[in-house]
Amino acid sequence: MTMLEMDPVFTAALREVLVATVDDTPRVRRRWRWRLGAGMFVGSTLIAGGAALATGLFSPPGAPIDTPIGNVVTVTHTGPATIDLGPPPARATDLSLTLTCLTVGTFDFPNGSSMSCDAADLSHPPPDDQEASEVVQLTPGKDSVTIDTSANASWTLQAMYVNQVTTPWGTNARGQTYGVQNQKGTPDLIAVVVDQGKTQGYVKAAELNCAAGGNVETPAQALAWDKASENRNISIPVYESDGTTVIGTFIIGHATGPNARTVPFSSLSLDCSATGNGPAVNGP
Amino acid sequence: MRTVQGVRSSRGESGTWDASLTGDVDAFVDIFDLHHNRVYRHALRLTANVHDAEDVTAAAFLELWRRRRSVRVVDGSVLPWLIVTATNLSRNLVRGLHRYRALIATLPRAEVADSAADIAVERIEEERIGEEVRQALGALSSADAALLALTMFEHYSPAQAAAALGISDGAARTRLHRARSRMATALGRSLVGDCETTTKEEPR
Repeated sequence: MTMLEMDPVFTAALREVLVATVDDTPRVRRRWRWRLGAGMFVGSTLIAGGAALATGLFSPPGAPIDTPIGNVVTVTHTGPATIDLGPPPARATDLSLTLTCLTVGTFDFPNGSSMSCDAADLSHPPPDDQEASEVVQLTPGKDSVTIDTSANASWTLQAMYVNQVTTPWGTNARGQTYGVQNQKGTPDLIAVVVDQGKTQGYVKAAELNCAAGGNVETPAQALAWDKASENRNISIPVYESDGTTVIGTFIIGHATGPNARTVPFSSLSLDCSATGNGPAVNGP
Repeated sequence: MRTVQGVRSSRGESGTWDASLTGDVDAFVDIFDLHHNRVYRHALRLTANVHDAEDVTAAAFLELWRRRRSVRVVDGSVLPWLIVTATNLSRNLVRGLHRYRALIATLPRAEVADSAADIAVERIEEERIGEEVRQALGALSSADAALLALTMFEHYSPAQAAAALGISDGAARTRLHRARSRMATALGRSLVGDCETTTKEEPR
């Protein structure tokens, strides 16, 4: 049996993010120290790109954006409690909650999710291991939030009404949509980060899917695809949002041995346009 | 008992991890390539679906980098630390992932045909432990669940598991005994027998 492996597309994208994160970390720190030491307050493009990626601020079209509305309500309490937040502003769609545990305990959010803190968590500098955030949809007519926990567990809650909008995908001159995958589905061009975080661009969903073995339809094809992928990575072009200007490559695969090779998608005779046809399993 | 596997460079995992700590990108990618599927399969044991397991795996490696100065290396490997971290993240998805949620949301995922998805599900079912075991693990404390996962599923010795969690060997054995008893209550005697068989191999 072939060992279960993580989605190759997700794996490739995660690898790029890790590369970008590692690559940026020491340089960001050194530069900030140097610049602050010199009395300057300047953010370079390197810092902006790296920091944005590392903190998840990279928001291509299609990503949800929460805009705060109204004041932040901060309450510290011991034991279970229901906090009255007042009526939501007209445009509020969701409630942003940040809970910090002050003692050991398990704390249940209104949507059924929960966080727990043990002694080890509390021993670390705050807020690294004591804080959890959640955005929950508003329930019409309900102006309060309940945190359920044991009688002696202490916590601080910051609650804020927000307006959550899933930004629309962009549409280029050729009518192709571009952005991130979301609840609406997959755009024609999917946002990726490559080149150690320095390049943000888009790959064609059809090419990405095909290069990941997305058209495999039978167990025999799946096994053949896995075997062909053992020593082969596939590179697909990364485009500007116009879908034609190539600015980089996105590599799918995990082949790393001495026989590993990376082949361009265009060199493979993969027919991913028609349904019912599995992809060819042998590259050049 | 598990032994440390080599990575593609000749320096071994320990040397690769040391290189990672100096900011060597290729070395950190080597660590990722070496362990990500094992971490993913472990996350699948503990989470309800493939996407959650992917999210947990991503967060575990981002945490590996963020907390690299305090990672406990066991016999030259960071895998035990990753397993412990993935266990904690799986049990506490809201808290564990909030730091990386926006970042992970931007990572593309493959869209597979329904038939291919069925194949994937079959493979997952072959790999996954039963729902009963997942629920039984969920009833344990994070540390006890990690101890059981390391010894029962990843075949580390109690001493290695203790090192990964930063507790004494004796404490690990005591907690393992209690955790096995709780699992026995939940699942019956057969699984407990499996646990005992596994840990008999431990070095003294």
